[in-house]
Amino acid sequence: MTCADCQKSLGALIDGELPAGEAARVEEHLANCPECAAARQRLLDTSARLKGELVRYKAPDVLKARIRATLTEPAHEDKPRPIALHPTRSARRWVRPLAAAGVIAIVSSGLTFVAMRDRAPANAVQNEVLASHIRSLIPGHLTDVASNDQHNVKPWFNGRVNLSPDVPRLDSVGFPLVGGRVDYIDGHNVATIVYTRRQHVINVFVWPATDLSNSAPEISGANGYNIIHVRRRGEEIWVVSDLNLAELRTFSALVIPRD
Amino acid sequence: MAEDTVERFERQVLPYLDDAYTLARYLLHDEHDAQDAVQDAALRAFRHFGSFRQGDGRAWLLTIVRNSCYDWHKSHRMDRATVSLGDDAEAVADPRYIADPAVQSSDRERVRAAVDALPAELREIIVLRELNDLSYREIAAVVGVPIGTVMSRLSRGRERLAAALGDDSRRAG
Repeated sequence: MTCADCQKSLGALIDGELPAGEAARVEEHLANCPECAAARQRLLDTSARLKGELVRYKAPDVLKARIRATLTEPAHEDKPRPIALHPTRSARRWVRPLAAAGVIAIVSSGLTFVAMRDRAPANAVQNEVLASHIRSLIPGHLTDVASNDQHNVKPWFNGRVNLSPDVPRLDSVGFPLVGGRVDYIDGHNVATIVYTRRQHVINVFVWPATDLSNSAPEISGANGYNIIHVRRRGEEIWVVSDLNLAELRTFSALVIPRD
Repeated sequence: MAEDTVERFERQVLPYLDDAYTLARYLLHDEHDAQDAVQDAALRAFRHFGSFRQGDGRAWLLTIVRNSCYDWHKSHRMDRATVSLGDDAEAVADPRYIADPAVQSSDRERVRAAVDALPAELREIIVLRELNDLSYREIAAVVGVPIGTVMSRLSRGRERLAAALGDDSRRAG
């Protein structure tokens, strides 16, 4: 075997793609040819470096949720909608088993995350907020009232939660309102107002504070989500999203009431 | 559409969304473009799921993702440097991704920059092999070229990367 033949087969050899007989002939040549052996080593190093250093991405939860949502929509839709806010009646039949599977997958990963943390009880609230955010990404769970009009969303909370949350309209600055829902966090019914930024879902959780002093914004991150918490005007306000922190801060400056 | 179709799709195809998203991120660079392309691909896959019999759901999904990425590129990025998809064209790499040594603070970034600087038809094969761990036969099916072409592109891609990542050497070219 010539060196040229050998080097042509090196890639297939290190990838385990060479038939056994041919591999044996290449190995035999390599045993006697330091130059080809060095070439093989270089190839192995390059391959190992690529495997070791290149990022394998995880599909974001929002993307998975969007895809699962589109599956449940009838085929007559021409284009995928960004987020399925309210599945049609016929689609609803499929949502439940899918959502159940999603809950198990997503919540169990959430639980692993919860189990891995051992911080003060203050973080228990953060974990509940984060779990609510993750759960909201499951198709059909994002909103109880879907509307881009704050005049529909704000009154919807009357009688459902213990306060009347601010629902600013921010679509002119790139944060369209999607709707609202009620969650249960820290022993309260909580008003959750839902916005989006591109494909990112932003949940704003608001409930009456027991501590009436204002707090400075606390920023934390967990599991790829950014979380901003502030206590203002007697309200606990949590903002959660997988949006980048810079844009999320811009957003929270717009939704969090000033003193 | 029967319920078991959705369930079967969830079981046979959706587990590979991470692979799909990884490929899309390397082909399109932008995370939002990649998400849109993967969503589009998943929807296409679901619509054509009837024609998928048995076999490798991953390679099947990646084939569709690759097509979605290039369609996405064509329809949304005409204004940018175009990526040649010719069979053996030595396409010019997008200049935005050519490595700038000054900003390569980590080894990881150097490797990433070198891969991003590859022409698309070499980069996709590197990703399918080194990150998605596809066999040559699967890569050939995904890309739609003979196995011999897969081998020669993989070899050229690795040579270029070895040269780019070697200690300032300019050996292979």
